[in-house]
Amino acid sequence: MSSLNFQDMLAALSRFWADQGCVVALPYDLEVGAGTMCPETFLRVLGPRPWKVAYVQPSRRPADGRYGENPNRLLKHTQMQVILKPPPPDIQDVYLASLEALGIRLADHDIRFEEDNWEAPTLGAWGIGWQVMLDGLEITQFTYFQQCGGLDLDPISAEITYGLERIAAFLQNVPSVYDVRWSNDHSYGEIRLEEELELSIYDFEAASPEACRTLLDTYEAEALRLLGSYSKAKDPKDAEVRRRFPLRKVYELCLKCSHLFNILDARGVISVTERVALIGRIRKMATQVARIYVGRLQPALAEIAAEAQPA
Amino acid sequence: MSQATLPLLVEIGCEEIPARFLRDAERQFGERLLGALRDSRLLPDLGSSEQRNGDSPAPELRSPKPAATTYSTPRRLVVHIVSVLPRQSDLEEQVMGPAAKIAFDASGKPTRAAENFAAKNGVAVEELLQVETAKGLYMAARKATSGRPAAEVLSDVLPRVIKSVAFPKSMVWETTGVRFVRPLRWILALLGEGDRARSIHFDLAGVRSGKHTRGHRGSGAGRLDVVGFADYAQKLRQHFVEFDPESRRQSVRSEANVVLEAWQEAVADPELEEWVVNSTEWVAGLRGSFDPRFLKLPREILVTVMRDHQKYFAVEDRESKLQPNFVAMLNRDRDATGAIRAGHERVLTARFNDAEFFWNADQKVPLAQRFADGWLERVTYQAKLGDQGSYAAKIFRMKALAEQVCAGLEGQGRLAASQRAHVLHALELCKCDLTTQMVQEFTELQGVVGGLYARAQGEPPEVAEAIYDHYKPVHIEGDCPRSVVGAVVSLADKLDAVIAGFAAGLEPTGSSDPFALRRAGNGIVKLAVESLHGLDLTILVNQTLRSHATVLGAQAGLDSGELAQRVDVFLREERMEFYFREVGALRYDTVRAIVKRTKILQDLVPSAALARGRALERVRDTDDFLALAAAAKRTRNIRKSANILDISGGRPDPGLFSEDAERELYAAYEGLSREIQKLSDRGEFEEAFRATATIRPHVDRFFDKVLVMSEDPSVRRNRLMLLLRLNEEVFTSLADLSEIEPIGAEGGKARNG
Repeated sequence: MSSLNFQDMLAALSRFWADQGCVVALPYDLEVGAGTMCPETFLRVLGPRPWKVAYVQPSRRPADGRYGENPNRLLKHTQMQVILKPPPPDIQDVYLASLEALGIRLADHDIRFEEDNWEAPTLGAWGIGWQVMLDGLEITQFTYFQQCGGLDLDPISAEITYGLERIAAFLQNVPSVYDVRWSNDHSYGEIRLEEELELSIYDFEAASPEACRTLLDTYEAEALRLLGSYSKAKDPKDAEVRRRFPLRKVYELCLKCSHLFNILDARGVISVTERVALIGRIRKMATQVARIYVGRLQPALAEIAAEAQPA
Repeated sequence: MSQATLPLLVEIGCEEIPARFLRDAERQFGERLLGALRDSRLLPDLGSSEQRNGDSPAPELRSPKPAATTYSTPRRLVVHIVSVLPRQSDLEEQVMGPAAKIAFDASGKPTRAAENFAAKNGVAVEELLQVETAKGLYMAARKATSGRPAAEVLSDVLPRVIKSVAFPKSMVWETTGVRFVRPLRWILALLGEGDRARSIHFDLAGVRSGKHTRGHRGSGAGRLDVVGFADYAQKLRQHFVEFDPESRRQSVRSEANVVLEAWQEAVADPELEEWVVNSTEWVAGLRGSFDPRFLKLPREILVTVMRDHQKYFAVEDRESKLQPNFVAMLNRDRDATGAIRAGHERVLTARFNDAEFFWNADQKVPLAQRFADGWLERVTYQAKLGDQGSYAAKIFRMKALAEQVCAGLEGQGRLAASQRAHVLHALELCKCDLTTQMVQEFTELQGVVGGLYARAQGEPPEVAEAIYDHYKPVHIEGDCPRSVVGAVVSLADKLDAVIAGFAAGLEPTGSSDPFALRRAGNGIVKLAVESLHGLDLTILVNQTLRSHATVLGAQAGLDSGELAQRVDVFLREERMEFYFREVGALRYDTVRAIVKRTKILQDLVPSAALARGRALERVRDTDDFLALAAAAKRTRNIRKSANILDISGGRPDPGLFSEDAERELYAAYEGLSREIQKLSDRGEFEEAFRATATIRPHVDRFFDKVLVMSEDPSVRRNRLMLLLRLNEEVFTSLADLSEIEPIGAEGGKARNG
């Protein structure tokens, strides 16, 4: 059997995790550095409600851009993100079965779980876990989230993040990700090479630091304005204001800032002190969003508790 | 009396434990389980009763001699104990209670204290005993506890023992909130063997203990029921689990030979070997190849990529020439289809491609240009230092430091002006490799890459070598930089790390030293002894802090004097002491004598201090010297009790001496003081110590014949002044002799690193 093409891989993994009871969500329509930053992960790992989701997420890391010249490294790569909250006891076995679904015959390979803990300082998030190695190739980041938005998690979520281009190049046995067959008729390079070059040029050379800073300040100001209106609405009669608070929009503004920060960083214009300050500013927005999200779950929590009471 | 005993086998089944934690966890598990069995009176070599005071801590744990054997793989921690009592021994203990005078009121009636104590121990107040102790009469209760069956006790003890295994980093994963290094997935707890084997029942973190283990992930086996250790061992090996790490180590060694050609050898690498042992359940070797064109890249880079990033052993021929091959150790039995080898070769080729790409890309902007264009201003050294937190700021401070060191060395004729220029140039370039793609990808090659690039970019060889070496010495027994230029660069780097680290509030505490300041401190002392003889660290620290006081001191909210004081104590009392013991191999009390002396006289010249220590070791065990040490202790005690303010700085008046013994001692002291000064100025410490010993008879006679605390205040004052002079100029001038103990007496003192 010939190996799966790229789009069949996406379909196979989505099918696999749907069969495990996951919601198959849509890719998020904003620039993110990783699937973790999407609300389907960042927000839904908070609070007590069980949740299972899988989605494909194009993820941008400006500093990893290589103008399309490096065969293994991409500015924008494709993640398959899976969240299992809480994780089932046989989660590692389920994960390994998902590799079989991609056509990897485990009996022929050497799989290891090597210590690799994960941290996202701008999100106030960290976890404990491994990088999964397939014959010496890192194919997945496997993390038990411990904190998100600066809050302890209960229950814990397991996050499984596949780096799809690498796995595809491995399965198709091609020397460069750009040689990966996306569909039977088109290569990854045909579809993405130009974009890689253009994004690299912008993020490393063409981006106007002044414009990026202005945008960042503007998005932040808008987010802070909204957050301010929420914290002012303290009175019980303001409950409606709080209920109708556009929380996800604030989070989008926060993600915009995060991406602009990454561009400024790649552009090489962030000084030491500015760097720390910027991370702090973004983290502050993210943690406030997390707190509001959890706070708004409280009435819902009361409901869950009531339902659990014997009649 | 021999007792029938049972074997106990416990296995914690876990998701993959990080290799770096594994062996320590295995050791802890064994020790804690044995300790708990002993405390629970389940080990056969304990007496049937022991006396224990209710308030006192448990009797000290005996060394874990009883037959406990531990094993581990990334998925299991195993303890096998051959002999466990089937039932706890009965316990009769005397529990101490309140003092008798508190237990009974004036009329002799028992108080609440007595009633509560009796109730707590399940006896009537009338049954309480009175026991005479050093602190007076106390109440006591005699308490008898009959032993419970081992299985019952163990189901309480085992979960506690498992939870007590501590890891540097742990996690939660399920609702009971138990913390462990990774999720627990099964627990084997088996008491007895064969037909009579039974499992110990308990629940922990959602896992129910049982009689089963599991094979290797790839073996396809589910639960494997076992009835004893032999059965366990056989079933696991059948299912590709070698649970004994030492057997896996043997496999790692033999497999490399099996897969390589006779004329090839795996580059020895104990750390990598340890990692492989601790990250596999079964070991098989595999030889792979790469394109020989990559051999054009420096060996350091190739080996680092293979070892640190891919965990492969590099391969060389008999002449130590690197081969286009590697050895990977699999965590399974074999590579039946060749797919694994193909995979590893592919990954390594991609890695080498990256390295080659980085090398070429990095050459486009030479290190010197990176420095000139201010690239280091954007690289964070220590964010807590604010404006001073960039590498550019660090280089600025390091240059000021190095100027001081160079001036001193030039004064001694040990550094040429051209070398000073090399030092300063190397300092400017030494951190520029942090801005290269190569170091951003292979961070452990910082310094090495800078040195390689400097050479490739036509910098002077002395500069390239100094950059290459400037992280050395990496540990206390490692090599120092090859040249004095490299040593100065390294010293400036480490001293700045310590000073800036303290200023940023990052001084090491207990086991926490996240910025490795202790290692930097050890490096400073080592360089000052082995590469930069005669270097005075006090002057250096003070001058550096004076020139950077506003920025660094203010950062810590301290004045620079206080900061200098802390750095001084750290270097002197921790790092210098450590180095003298570990590398200088000086005896504990010799080290204390030397370090205390440097405290008294304030100098911090590690090379001179070590020379004094070595000299002291050679003369200290003579009778005269030991007698003198005793006299020095006596003098020190007298000095402590006397009013020092009254007499310090003064000199005794020979006219007030009334006894021959004090006149003689005074004369001997005057001659000796000059002699010691003369010899120590010439660095002849051993002769100086030998000369010191000659004063012994005079000291002995003085203490024999003269009453220091005379009734006459002026005579007393005069005698104290004589002793004070003696203390300062003889007993503590080269070393604080009051610290020296006769052999054997020092054994009880604690050693710590």
